[in-house]
Amino acid sequence: MIDFVQNLISGIAVGCIYALAALGFVLVYKSSRVINFSNGQFIAIGAFLAYALAVWAKLPVLLAALLGMLLTAGLGFLVERVFLRKMVGQPIISVIMVTIGLASVLDGLMYLTPFGSGNFTFPQFLPQGGLNLGGISISYPQLLAIGFTALFLVLFGWFFQRSVLGVSMRAVADDQMASMSVGVSVQRVFALAWAVAGLTAAAAGIVVGTVSGLNQDGLIAIGLAVFPAVILGGLDSVPGAVVGGIIIGILQSFSTAYLDGVLSQAGLVGGGSQYVMPFVVLLVMLWFKPHGLFGTEEIERV
Amino acid sequence: MRNPWAQTGNYRTSYVQDTTIFANYREIVSLVLFLVALCTLPLFLERSQVLVLNFILIYAIAVLGLNITTGYAGLISVGQAAFMGVGAYTVALAAPDLPFWLTIPLGGITAAIIGFIVGIPSLRVKHLYLALATLAFQEIFVWVVGRSPALAQGAAIPVEMRNFLGLEIGFRNHNYFWYYIILLVLVLMVIAWRNLLRGKYGRALIAVRDNDRAADAMGMDPGRTKLMAFALGAFYGGVAGGLLAYMQRAVVVEEFTLGRSVALLAMAIVGGLGTVVGSLLGPAFIEFLRLYMERLSEWMKASAFVQNITPAGVDVASALLPLSFGLVIVLFLIFEPRGLFNWWRLLRSYFRTWPFKY
Repeated sequence: MIDFVQNLISGIAVGCIYALAALGFVLVYKSSRVINFSNGQFIAIGAFLAYALAVWAKLPVLLAALLGMLLTAGLGFLVERVFLRKMVGQPIISVIMVTIGLASVLDGLMYLTPFGSGNFTFPQFLPQGGLNLGGISISYPQLLAIGFTALFLVLFGWFFQRSVLGVSMRAVADDQMASMSVGVSVQRVFALAWAVAGLTAAAAGIVVGTVSGLNQDGLIAIGLAVFPAVILGGLDSVPGAVVGGIIIGILQSFSTAYLDGVLSQAGLVGGGSQYVMPFVVLLVMLWFKPHGLFGTEEIERV
Repeated sequence: MRNPWAQTGNYRTSYVQDTTIFANYREIVSLVLFLVALCTLPLFLERSQVLVLNFILIYAIAVLGLNITTGYAGLISVGQAAFMGVGAYTVALAAPDLPFWLTIPLGGITAAIIGFIVGIPSLRVKHLYLALATLAFQEIFVWVVGRSPALAQGAAIPVEMRNFLGLEIGFRNHNYFWYYIILLVLVLMVIAWRNLLRGKYGRALIAVRDNDRAADAMGMDPGRTKLMAFALGAFYGGVAGGLLAYMQRAVVVEEFTLGRSVALLAMAIVGGLGTVVGSLLGPAFIEFLRLYMERLSEWMKASAFVQNITPAGVDVASALLPLSFGLVIVLFLIFEPRGLFNWWRLLRSYFRTWPFKY
């Protein structure tokens, strides 16, 4: 039983990382219908920027994390301005393929820095150990992941319910034409969505850095695992992204604990089922419930 | 038709004329000349150069398939390399027992069946979701191969074919022999591609891509049409993979990763989506780009000057490939979405109307 709860908690902590990364992804999809294939690269760049600021520029860790997030938000803004704005009016397929190309470009740019290969450890700023609740231990980095996600959710909730920009983003997500006609700047909303996507991706990357180490391939793999999370939750649902992310995290944690042994008896040696289970879920969801748990089914009128 | 040799535009006035493949004799002649050139080309080339050609032609087959799913049906596929992998592994498992002219179609059919299963969501949802289905399949494929002892866990499985109808295939003539086989398969696949897509099915695909509701109202079944496109694209991928297995004399999982899928997509975009000429130009462009980038990075590794100006821990050489690939995709999409095919078209019309502007 204790093992089970322990796995559950570590799954939730990992899932919170996915949830964070998925938030920005869903935002971009909601406002502009673009599936962003370069999300993993944003996660990696955010984490490495924060690392560089903290270790090389010797800034305090929290300040470095904040600056890293803001810089990545700026990168998201820049990407929208330079590449995606040129694609307005093009078929959506081309826009998605631009993000695939962009992922490749950002990969290449990362190889131009020392971060292209090797592992990096984020500086410790949390005390060692963790909480102990009746035999179940939660480490401080895990608490940080959960707390960070909760904080972001509250901020997002406030932003979308109360602020003018947030309301205009919701308006654009709902109906571009109508919101344009009442004076909402759709361009500004797109730019903002990409900036927020950069911000949340960087936040996810920084949390990864505190929970485990930083490694380019690993960070990009998190970007790919975001796809199952958002499909599970529903592509256009912000709460769905969070729930989907957490479910995927728990699934990964459980498949490491329980499935690896079963699979190796069935003839698939080597374990590591946590890397493939999210994609199995993705495929199964697309077969049976493609709009996810909370997504809205597209209803088209002729 | 007026003088068929001097025809400069599209003079087709009836449906019967519109269903012909060639507009005029000049097209037939230039095609025959092109094929003859392709057949004699290896005679002037060295073994290693033929190898490059082989890769280009194999990727051209895979890109033809991608041009059905992405170019005609409008479904982004980031899993074409995995379908190639399905074909290649089918060939690797069947090669000891069956001749190659059976194993390669078998590889294609296996890939088509799996493509059919992966494409099932297309019965219900639109193109965006399909990209994710192919992504999922791509990841699952690489993982399963890497974990299966029966498939050597992704390490090399040898695919040997030492002689064919008494012809000894050894170190010297291996590349040349497969060049002609690949060329033959490519020509057959192009003919099938053209005939399939200019007929009823191709027109249905275009209709579904452009407006699936309207196509539905006209009595086509968008879901079934897209699913077919998926299976067909996978079939082309599987055949390409099977040829790759024989040509490389081994199957390794590294050939069929997500990165390769993206490279195939880049080839399709750079060449120009939905065209035969583009399916040849795209792979040629990307393969030569890769070749020269690899040479450049080798030069960089060897050059003391470059090593001196780069800080420690920075690997400029390995950055070149993803950087150039990504830039090529993005720049083509922004500045020339119709790809190299459009340049080819402009070039042709320039010579056709010369010395006049149009």
